[in-house]
Amino acid sequence: MTSELEKYHGNLQYAVDIVMCIDATGSMNPVLDIVKNSSLQFHQRLHDVMAKKSKEISQLRLKVIAFRDFGDDPSDAIEQTDFLHLPRQVTEFETFVRSLRAIGGGDIPESGLEALALAINSPWETGLDRRRHVIVMFTDAPAHPLGTVGASAQTYPKDIPRSMEDLFEQWGYARSQTAVMEQSAKRLVLFAPEDEPWKEAIGEDWDLTLHFPSRAGEGLEEFEMDEIIETIANSL
Amino acid sequence: MIGGYRVVTDPTNADGGKCMWAFAEKDGTEYFLKRFLEPKRPREGSGSAASRRIRLETCQEFEDRHRSIMKLLRPDASGGGNLVLATDFFHAGSTYYKVTERIDTTTLDRPESLAPKQKAVLLKTLGASLRLLHDIDVVHGDLKPANVLVQKRDGAAFHSAKLIDFDDSYPSGKPPGRDDIAGDSLYGAPEWRRYVQGDETVDGPELTTAVDIFALGLMTHHYLTGALPAYDGRFGSPADAVNAGEPLEVDDRLSTPMQALIMAMTAAGPERRPTGAEFFARLKDPEVCTLHTVPQPRPDPDAADPAASADSATGAKPRGSRVTFNPPDRATRPTTPPPPRAGDDDTGTPPKAPEASGPPESSAPESGEAPPDAPTGPRRSRVRINLGHRTGDGRS
Repeated sequence: MTSELEKYHGNLQYAVDIVMCIDATGSMNPVLDIVKNSSLQFHQRLHDVMAKKSKEISQLRLKVIAFRDFGDDPSDAIEQTDFLHLPRQVTEFETFVRSLRAIGGGDIPESGLEALALAINSPWETGLDRRRHVIVMFTDAPAHPLGTVGASAQTYPKDIPRSMEDLFEQWGYARSQTAVMEQSAKRLVLFAPEDEPWKEAIGEDWDLTLHFPSRAGEGLEEFEMDEIIETIANSL
Repeated sequence: MIGGYRVVTDPTNADGGKCMWAFAEKDGTEYFLKRFLEPKRPREGSGSAASRRIRLETCQEFEDRHRSIMKLLRPDASGGGNLVLATDFFHAGSTYYKVTERIDTTTLDRPESLAPKQKAVLLKTLGASLRLLHDIDVVHGDLKPANVLVQKRDGAAFHSAKLIDFDDSYPSGKPPGRDDIAGDSLYGAPEWRRYVQGDETVDGPELTTAVDIFALGLMTHHYLTGALPAYDGRFGSPADAVNAGEPLEVDDRLSTPMQALIMAMTAAGPERRPTGAEFFARLKDPEVCTLHTVPQPRPDPDAADPAASADSATGAKPRGSRVTFNPPDRATRPTTPPPPRAGDDDTGTPPKAPEASGPPESSAPESGEAPPDAPTGPRRSRVRINLGHRTGDGRS
């Protein structure tokens, strides 16, 4: 009998889903390895922090969306995994993350909003007793407006909002009729520069969003990954 | 600058829930500044009319709730010094902020090593803090070590406790919805767990101030022994064990009246737990807080009300409790090992002369106290928990 099955079935069950949106354009070259390493360590570190707090996560799933720029090369503007159950699918997760290369991107703004829109529309867990749905955005650049640069490309996501206002309505707020995410479960953690749309349009105006300003060429500091883990652990 | 406050540290989410926090300064005074992650006020012209209306209604309800709590819990009220209360509440741009005084906490790595009288004072100040809330029928709703600031004034003999973070408080019997209610998975009460799990036999009216008493019982065990009461490793928390009909194993090095008190506080039925006032009364004799080096007698298993045995030592009249407890022979019963539960130290900055909130100073360690490295009894609780704070602050 596995240790999971030995658990008392009446225990409160927590499901944690995390989508990591990772800017994989050329300017991220100095820091992508740090982001990747942090991502690879994430599962174990979260487990350790939860254990210190005498808490457990019943189900942990991770999904990665790497993005570049539809205006530069639509063929590799989005690379993503499905939700992967950890630790069971850790090999698949590691293989994808290790394969990411910081290339391309063209002009300064990137397709970060497309990645965010895909993340918001992920197939989030709806079962178990309590859920945390966390989107983490790593980027060092502002974003193109939705539905503009590269929007006519074959590979451009078909079912995402075409404006910031529509994306906001999908993210939602308490009692929203249009939100696609569960209000009490969701969090958005931005490691993004103090540029738009990250600083004001999202960081200031969206519910349940934590913005930690990043600077181009500077890495994902240790404490920043701690912030993500704290955000999850504190909310359970 | 935010609302006239100059932010002096990087905002962080550390030990926070749905907030970020930082220290700030205004007119030479230091404050703790809390930034709420929700709700956000809609900007002029943003969104449809329907969207704006819903969001503005939510904001109004949020403001009303916070202002009503602030009105009920005034810093100048009697005993208000035991609570870290808001001094300001405002919005800047889209975001709401709340301000409290900055409280510098004291390092207290091993509360279980304190003398019984010191432990009694710490617990009494914690109990007194909670009584202030319960006297006005308000449930704290997220009582846990991280929401208790431990202080020790310069030259003082005693540590005292201050309660923080009333942002998830609710009127007794009128909690938020099942998906929205706050609470800690480790310190949550059995009825809270069932409420969250959608158990239809538990409805809002059953979530009363007794929810806090369950958490206080766990915290009392921790402060006195350094660990939570033990429970079978199959269970994810004390409340899960209690809900399954498995009693918690209270450390038998605790005095018999204290064992009975903690058992009563962690009873499955909220109506069987003592009140905050009764908890306070039971601590009248500091000896009940002694951690002995040898197992103490278990409370009378035939007693209909184990908590009543505490009366013989304290003279208090508890509410009736029929919680079961572990007879002594369970002390060595093998159980499924729990998952690893490492302890975390409480660290903080030196105290800066906080306001008085504890009883008079005095006292050297008292006999019967287990020194930090003393041999333990035949069974120790297997669960260690994080006592609280990483830095000296008044965050919530």
